[in-house]
Amino acid sequence: MARSVETLVVGGVIGDVLDMFTPASEFNVQYGSKQVTNGCNIKPSAAADKPHVQILCHSISSNLYTLVMVDPDAPSPSEPRLREWLHWIVVDIPEGHDATKGRELVAYVGPQPPTGIHRYILALFKQEGAMEGRIQATDVRANFSTRRFAERNRLGLPVAAVYFNSQKEPAVKKR
Amino acid sequence: MAIPIPMATGCRSSSRWSMVSLKSALPPLTSAASSIKLPCRHRTPPRIRSPQLVRSFSSLSLVNPLHSLGFSDMSSFGENFTIIDNGCRFYAMRHGRRVPKLNRPPDQRRALLRGLTTQLLKHGRIKTTRARASAVRKYIDKMITLAKDGSLHKRRQALGFIYEKQIVHALFAEVPDRYGDRNGGYTRIIRTLPRRGDNAPMAYIELV
Repeated sequence: MARSVETLVVGGVIGDVLDMFTPASEFNVQYGSKQVTNGCNIKPSAAADKPHVQILCHSISSNLYTLVMVDPDAPSPSEPRLREWLHWIVVDIPEGHDATKGRELVAYVGPQPPTGIHRYILALFKQEGAMEGRIQATDVRANFSTRRFAERNRLGLPVAAVYFNSQKEPAVKKR
Repeated sequence: MAIPIPMATGCRSSSRWSMVSLKSALPPLTSAASSIKLPCRHRTPPRIRSPQLVRSFSSLSLVNPLHSLGFSDMSSFGENFTIIDNGCRFYAMRHGRRVPKLNRPPDQRRALLRGLTTQLLKHGRIKTTRARASAVRKYIDKMITLAKDGSLHKRRQALGFIYEKQIVHALFAEVPDRYGDRNGGYTRIIRTLPRRGDNAPMAYIELV
């Protein structure tokens, strides 16, 4: 993924959820055959299953990564009372591999936007070392704070991020 | 127009222009000219005068046909547009017109913009065409400014514009907290991929 910090700023990701960072890594997120680019539209039905997240490695290193997926526009973008809604946390992802190699802390829940167009942000953090027992899984998904999570687990600024939009599909198919 | 005293050489038209020498080579102007021919000096009262040339309606012809030749040294702009100028400002181009028409008659346009602002205030983020998104910014800013004021009159003005009452009441309730510090610029437009059906350029517009 190219230097796409500007699109994150324009989309409000940096500001609402993340702080300004310089991208240090790259990762691909794929729902089925559809590659996620910043601001693209993905249907909830297509995103019901876990995406294929692949961290690209440029050099042989043994870094471990943490992936966090949140929705800052819950329940509605005009009134985000439950900002942010946690969807997925995976820790200890080895570099160069995909997310299934990590440890899933919070199970994946697909996007279910009740009203409006929601942003879904996937942020990647670099870990200092393996997180064995220091991290605890939260079962409360509402009012999650990515910044607080990163600070509490000494993850620092994210190294990569991507976001996509999703909105509720109409129940009745258009004729 | 000053009517000069006719010379003895006959009834010639006014000598306003300076190319007297050229003029003298030409036959004198006929009744197309807008000048009254004065009776000659040597008049014989009982004789029936030659029919007087009345100031004819000459607005559709050149005052001086010589101008069409391009020889005149006077500015031809004021000369060629003689009499029919009622002062209307009517251009063939769109210069300086800033109201977006959105390909609709005025009543439909107003209804479209009202609907778009209602939906944007309701959902917080909508996806629409770029022209509509940039046209609706103004009305969103107006509504949020009304809500910032907060008085009853402004509330009723907002109720007259937005289609749903609940949205107006919710707006007036939350705008002071949300936009109290911000001066203007309450929306953000993010351009996105074109629509598949007609390749229309699309954009997300959201409340900041």
